[in-house]
Amino acid sequence: MGIYVSRSRGTVSDVVDIEAAIADAREQAAIVRVVDDLFDPAVQAQMVADVTDASLDAVVLAGNSVDHYTRSLSGQHIKRMLVDAGLNPNKIIVANLIEQVALVHGDDRDGATKKAKAMIDVAVLRAMMADPLEALETDPVQSIAILGATSEGLVAAQRLLQLGFSVVIADRANGSERLRDAHRMRATVSYVMGHSESRFIDDAKVTDGQGWLGDYELTFDSPQGKVTHHIGGILLAEPDETAWVEELRTHFKVDVDDEGRARSIDPATHPAETVDPGLMVVPATEGETAMRERVAAADSAAIALILKLTQGKTMHYRDTSRVDETLCGGCSSCVRTCAFGACSLDEDGLSHVDVRRCRGCGKCVVSCPVGARDIVNSPHDYIIEAIQTMAQSGFEDEKIMGFLCGGCGYPAADSAYRSEGTYPASFLPLRIPCGGRLDTLHVLEAFKAGFDGVAVFRCREGHCHNLIGNLDMDRRINLLRTVLRSRRIDDSRLRIIDISPFDGKHFTEQVNELSESVATLSDMKGGSQ
Amino acid sequence: MSKPKLAHVVLGGCEGCYVSLLDVHEGLVDLIESTEIVHSPFTSSTEMQQCDVVLVEGAVTNERDEEKLLAAREKATTLVAVGSCAALGGIGGLRNLFSADELLDQVYGDAKPSDGLPALTSHVKPLSDVVEVDISVPGCAPETKNLLAALQAAIAGSEWEMPRRNMCDECEREKKELLKHSSEFVSDAVYAVMELDEIDPDKCFLEQGVVCMGPMTREGCGAKCTAANIPCRGCQGPSRMDFEQGGKMIDTLAAILPAGALMYLDDLVGTGYRFSLPISVFPAVVDSKGGDRDE
Repeated sequence: MGIYVSRSRGTVSDVVDIEAAIADAREQAAIVRVVDDLFDPAVQAQMVADVTDASLDAVVLAGNSVDHYTRSLSGQHIKRMLVDAGLNPNKIIVANLIEQVALVHGDDRDGATKKAKAMIDVAVLRAMMADPLEALETDPVQSIAILGATSEGLVAAQRLLQLGFSVVIADRANGSERLRDAHRMRATVSYVMGHSESRFIDDAKVTDGQGWLGDYELTFDSPQGKVTHHIGGILLAEPDETAWVEELRTHFKVDVDDEGRARSIDPATHPAETVDPGLMVVPATEGETAMRERVAAADSAAIALILKLTQGKTMHYRDTSRVDETLCGGCSSCVRTCAFGACSLDEDGLSHVDVRRCRGCGKCVVSCPVGARDIVNSPHDYIIEAIQTMAQSGFEDEKIMGFLCGGCGYPAADSAYRSEGTYPASFLPLRIPCGGRLDTLHVLEAFKAGFDGVAVFRCREGHCHNLIGNLDMDRRINLLRTVLRSRRIDDSRLRIIDISPFDGKHFTEQVNELSESVATLSDMKGGSQ
Repeated sequence: MSKPKLAHVVLGGCEGCYVSLLDVHEGLVDLIESTEIVHSPFTSSTEMQQCDVVLVEGAVTNERDEEKLLAAREKATTLVAVGSCAALGGIGGLRNLFSADELLDQVYGDAKPSDGLPALTSHVKPLSDVVEVDISVPGCAPETKNLLAALQAAIAGSEWEMPRRNMCDECEREKKELLKHSSEFVSDAVYAVMELDEIDPDKCFLEQGVVCMGPMTREGCGAKCTAANIPCRGCQGPSRMDFEQGGKMIDTLAAILPAGALMYLDDLVGTGYRFSLPISVFPAVVDSKGGDRDE
């Protein structure tokens, strides 16, 4: 294992005693380097050399947020370089020392160091305990589905057709008729409509979807009947039509903003890319130049898709749920829990996972009463050990365990530094892929391990990546209150926090409130244990 | 060669596990002939004797149980925890929802208990909290064939483990709704068995809105209760000892049955932890002095 800790040009090193924070992790690692900036090309070259020369099988990157590696192209680039050098994506582990430590605990060097140490130790744990993801190679399908027969959709279609792709243009209304009657872009319209590789589906709805970049299947329902298209990518070219988003998010991972539109990974820098690399969106724009901007965005999205699908085989890493067939008793609770229809019970009486539909949210793992299920990115045993590791971080004051849903609580924690306030360093965060991954056992273990409070973050209704992970978690964790009370644990120690991914202020307020209210309660550790 | 020496110790329990052993019927004759019973509640010896195998029934509920268990462990080569009380704490473990003082107060009030009664332990414990257990046979009462197989393994000095799947694996009732991908609950309400005029004997209990502990419970019982049209009560405990049966009941059922109705289930904790409270993450109340309350 290699551990790379970023001083972040002082941001981290001014607050955290890095040597103290990595003291224990050192024993697990073949290589430990403390650098100024993980994004310095020389540092990256060194990492790649280390992975190759020392045959590293896991790397911990302590510095930026996890989201930096999914929501910025430079972050994605580091990951890709490391994967190309031979690392499995599930063995590149991030410890967020900037947004969740240094920037929010600047006034508490000692606390920040303890917290940084706990987070690095947990990252090391995960690097050791998470199995590699299985890689699936596909010959990318040279066809794109364009949702919305809009001007911007047509421009993208023309570009794709010119470069040898075929296109399926679906419209919620009578798009092809509208285009025929339109007075604008006559040449583009007639090129696309007359092309042998274009298909139009009017009055269409998406009724089914599965797969990933290079290898999707989309089923459309229209007055002409149901038709399934095998495509390599999807372009949402009608940003204001939220019905598309509603339908897509029942099958694919889609971030949704407050207006119900699909949100890009970073509206400022990467307006067309979404969390699903094969799904591109044209950003909603307003004003006089709106059309020009949309057309330009659609054109560049088309080019980005072409680039992704013409570089040889595409690689998909199976970040999904798995089944231990020696344990599965066929109770089918997972079938009922899965929002994507990825679980089914076969003739053999065992649960099976449709990898083309599984989004790796982990709800089935929670629902499985025998432990026959697990997800590769956050295995059960890792979460339990992480809770215990964090509990032993040496804080004297009230310790709060924060289970951060990757879709809301984690990004909200990342933006907390932008709000004025601070919160205690003894709030220890653990990222989970979805609130739906939170097992009642995790909460109980956190209290048992010595946490005085537990904060669980929940996406607002209608915003969960996994449709109902937030609601399922809410039901479970509220039912757990009865269990806590039966053991005479005051259930106000457990707080479920509804949060928007950008609401750092609300995050700070809630963590402080919980911390203060827990401090007024009697010590839980006494008694008959 | 001398016969293997067998002992039987009874701690806090109902001795129903004995009945399960008697259910071996004529097999018992072979067992008695092939072994030498050196100590049991029915033999004259009051002292625990040196033996090859000791069967321990019941949970540790008082100081005398603790002494008897330690003696049994010391004298026996192989210790078998027989039944859910011994293996999981059992139904008597529900007393852990109160402190020992509260319990005595409730039972005796101002009256004074007789002299010579052993002091209660702070909470009910499975054997494994006090000594090392070699073989566990949960069940209330344990299934005769499991008990016999465990006993034979113990005598032979080999290992034996309960099957690890859940009870649904053995249950013959048919599932239909549960197999469908849907965001709806399988039932619009949660019913007690008595509330229903009729229970379809062939259909999964959960699909009829009846809480059944089958999914959260280790198999090995042969699904006798559900075959007799009675929902599983969870007597064999969780199939993974580090899982909470009651916690998993919540995790599992909250996506199947309406959570609002589960919330008003008369006794959520008693249903989920009926036999396994003492092996749960919090096996007893946290503060014996009256709780973790903001006063």
